[in-house]
Amino acid sequence: MTALKMLLRDWRGGELGVLFAALVIAVTIVSGISAFTTRLQNSLEQESHRFLAADRVVSSSSAVSDSWGEYALSQGLQVANTLSFPSMVYAGDEDMVLASVKAVSDNYPLRGELLRSDQPFAAPQAIAHGPAAGTVWIDSRLFALLDIDVGAQLTIGEADFSVTAAIRSEPDQGSSFLGFGPRVLMNYTDIPATEVVQVGSRVEYRLLLAGDAGALETTVEWLEPRLENGERLLDVASSQQSIGSALQRAEQFLLLAGSLGVVLAAVAIALGARRFSERHYDYVAIMKSLGATSGRIARLYGSSLLILGAAATLLGSLLGWSMQSLFFVLFGDALPVTPASSGPRPYLMGMFTALVCLASFAWPPLRRLGKISPLRVLRRDMPGMAQRTVQDYLVGLGAIILLMLWYSRDVNLTLAVLAGLACSALVAAGAATLLLRGGRLAGMRAGSIWRLALAGLQRRGAANTLQVVIFSMAIMLLLILVLVRTSLIEEWQTQLPEGTPNHFLINISPEQVNPVREALNRKAVLSQPLYPMVRGRVTHINGEALGRSDDPEEGRRERETNLTWSDAVPPNNEIIAGSWWDADSAQPLVSLEEGIADSMKIKVGDTVTYTVGARELSVTVASIRRLDWGSMQPNFFMVFPPAVLQGYPATFMTSFYLGGEEKQFLNQFIREFPTVTVIEMDVVVQQVRAIVSQVSAAIELVLGVILLAGALVLIAGVQASVDARLLESAILRALGAPRKLILGSLVIEFGVLGLFAGSLATLAAELSVYILQTQALDMSYQPSPLLWFLGPLVGITLIGGLGVWNCRRVISSPPLTVLREL
Amino acid sequence: MIKTENLLKRVEVAGGQLEILKGIDLEIKASESVAIVGASGSGKSTLLGLMAGLDEATDGKVWIDGVDLQQLDEDERALLRAEKVGFVFQSFQLLPSLTALENVMLPLELAGHSDAESRAAGFLARVELGERVTHYPSQLSGGEQQRVAIARAFAAEPVILFADEPTGNLDTETGAHIIDLLFEINREQGTTLVLVTHESRLADRCDRRVRLHAGALVEAQA
Repeated sequence: MTALKMLLRDWRGGELGVLFAALVIAVTIVSGISAFTTRLQNSLEQESHRFLAADRVVSSSSAVSDSWGEYALSQGLQVANTLSFPSMVYAGDEDMVLASVKAVSDNYPLRGELLRSDQPFAAPQAIAHGPAAGTVWIDSRLFALLDIDVGAQLTIGEADFSVTAAIRSEPDQGSSFLGFGPRVLMNYTDIPATEVVQVGSRVEYRLLLAGDAGALETTVEWLEPRLENGERLLDVASSQQSIGSALQRAEQFLLLAGSLGVVLAAVAIALGARRFSERHYDYVAIMKSLGATSGRIARLYGSSLLILGAAATLLGSLLGWSMQSLFFVLFGDALPVTPASSGPRPYLMGMFTALVCLASFAWPPLRRLGKISPLRVLRRDMPGMAQRTVQDYLVGLGAIILLMLWYSRDVNLTLAVLAGLACSALVAAGAATLLLRGGRLAGMRAGSIWRLALAGLQRRGAANTLQVVIFSMAIMLLLILVLVRTSLIEEWQTQLPEGTPNHFLINISPEQVNPVREALNRKAVLSQPLYPMVRGRVTHINGEALGRSDDPEEGRRERETNLTWSDAVPPNNEIIAGSWWDADSAQPLVSLEEGIADSMKIKVGDTVTYTVGARELSVTVASIRRLDWGSMQPNFFMVFPPAVLQGYPATFMTSFYLGGEEKQFLNQFIREFPTVTVIEMDVVVQQVRAIVSQVSAAIELVLGVILLAGALVLIAGVQASVDARLLESAILRALGAPRKLILGSLVIEFGVLGLFAGSLATLAAELSVYILQTQALDMSYQPSPLLWFLGPLVGITLIGGLGVWNCRRVISSPPLTVLREL
Repeated sequence: MIKTENLLKRVEVAGGQLEILKGIDLEIKASESVAIVGASGSGKSTLLGLMAGLDEATDGKVWIDGVDLQQLDEDERALLRAEKVGFVFQSFQLLPSLTALENVMLPLELAGHSDAESRAAGFLARVELGERVTHYPSQLSGGEQQRVAIARAFAAEPVILFADEPTGNLDTETGAHIIDLLFEINREQGTTLVLVTHESRLADRCDRRVRLHAGALVEAQA
């Protein structure tokens, strides 16, 4: 008698369905979701490299030593050079504009690609390298500013160039976000001819490096001690916050969903294994009477589980692989990079999950099968075996915590779910005991269907309490997922709604504020208020001069920052310390952004001294604000009361939304306001929106799989009690009870269980979601009144439906058939 | 072949202890057939279970083929059963998920016979079920199921066969056919037969009958 034979026979007999399905779902969820998140993380890493146009960059205010590039080349890295500088550019004798010129070597960019178009504002095309020597690509709006077309001559310093295309985007343009003028892209070899770069010019040289991780590491170690003042090494710290935060939340959600899915599957496995073992009592007793030893029984069931685990791992990995492939198909072109490979780790995780689930949830009841007394062949009424022990529950709990922690790598998230589970289990056990007792009192006075049903509930009180606990935990986990998913998607939609600003205007002079506002209103584009900007620099904190720092991250202390003023808290800003000032306040106060306050170690009440132009300004920190950097709204590090910045030279900025078909408006606008700088962010906004909608689709899909796991738990839970109910109902029918009575009492019995479970689940779900959203997911919590209606309804419908469906045989087949089978 | 000495079985019940067997001394010789009779609750099945090593006695001793069962643990008793003991039960005790052939193969596989399948098929033919080997218990009548159980019991060629009310769930005619079959194969194999029954017709076919009353041996007759 081999394990495989037994499994095949059990499979035919339908004994294995729930157990196997639960295992497969656990493996699918773990391998699919972790393969997806791993590939996404790997892609994002590549993606952020694109925003540097390289893997590492050395930035310098003077020419970078040639030996550095040579060293990098000798390590097998790719190397490129860029040089950025402001310069007046001329078209003919009259038209000239201050442009931001960038000279790039032939192999630029090393990561990512350039977008250019044949005509200004026309459809952009990707291209792998910059302009050829003697030619330049210029910003779309520069055509309008200089009143030229493609093919015209452009002069930079002493050299003439032919304009051959419009440059639309560069991978590393983020680093020059607040540049000083429209872009002119030229070839690195043409720099000497222009004669504009002299010692002391305001320029930024960059040495771009890319290649495999080991060589990069070696090169960086070699470079670091050679860096001098004004030379910085850049890596992929912080580009593209919008895409990043959207995907990070999605990832957290998927990990949460995955953890819950695994918990659900584990419960289903435990229930399935228990039923499997109960169905094998006689089997084992007969085998033992025929001479099988307990060791042999243990080997038989142990190897059965291993075979089952292997089959489930194979099938689950295959399904998991398909699931994550489907996600990436859904993402399609929205994901800016080809998804990286996940490696075998996710599938090993799936296998490990299957092993842990089998060892902790399926093995304990099966291990005890060896202890079944062979005397059962003579006396069937002998109890099968001891109930689960405390040890079993502890092993199960330990395994759940281990899996969740290991899988989500998030203590808060695990704690929130465990708190919900514990609350649900405790409250459910307590309330179920009370309610079921109360039910009988009511039942004594009710009609006979009710009496039968409620007496049944009471009779199986202990089993029913356990069922209510399991049902309410399963429904709770599902409700949590639905709730979190809903608020997540809603948050994204409000974060980047249709009409999210995708163009920024900066350098608007005070005299231009009204004309610009009118121009935007005329076009009826959705526009933000015009924010004033005053350039200023922090020099002292609490009277102490800021020293030079070696940490490049702190370079911003030294840098000029944009100051603004406002009477009210800017939209999307949250005060996290201190308080906002009264409108019309003239007190010398400032409100700082959380990050900059942290990095400069400034608290509310500190005094900060600025240099603005040639003047000094000392103010007291009134509040610290948290900003939403993903919102694509103008954000400011430092805000002052309007009266404080009166009299300082200010320019204004704003943002607005412009649809793709209306881009021509920019031409007209630039002609009208040639000194205003336009920054086009529409490509990025569109990308974020596309990714968000695809991620939402992926989340729906995962939710579907988890729902399946939840349904399995419910089915397994219902099945656990079906035999006892079938037997009773069959006896009642044999005694002459009409089908209607049996059916009615079954509907009521399962309906009441569902009502209890649904109500308790709702309570526990609200609690968990509160903890999750406030502690783990960094979202705001809102109670969901709809849930209090939905939870109990779902409980009644699902459990009532599943219960009656599983017991349908008792009314559809003759009572004798049912009795003989049991 | 089987010997019991002062065999005692007590169980804990609400409000004290219940003595099911009160010191049974019994000896059964090789190839002998013995019927244990008595009223419901007299302790017949308990005695059978103890002699077969399915249960442990509170006190006293049981020897099977010279082996003291009290000296063996549950697993050693199981090995002994696999080697020497066969069973036929009132409720047949076939495994519903196995076919007739697989049910008969079960003890042969447990005893490590390499020709389990052909031997099982031979025994099924012997009980006139050669055409029904692939049928499941639910597809067989009560009489047919008991014939499968008899084939299973004799397949491993045990030296002792225990039968617990083998005709209890069958009608008279089918029961008579089963009794014939049981004794026929018993004679062929020279098996020691111990059976528990209510039926005098069945008890009459045995070499000897022992009567139990309230847990005590009251009468033994040839």
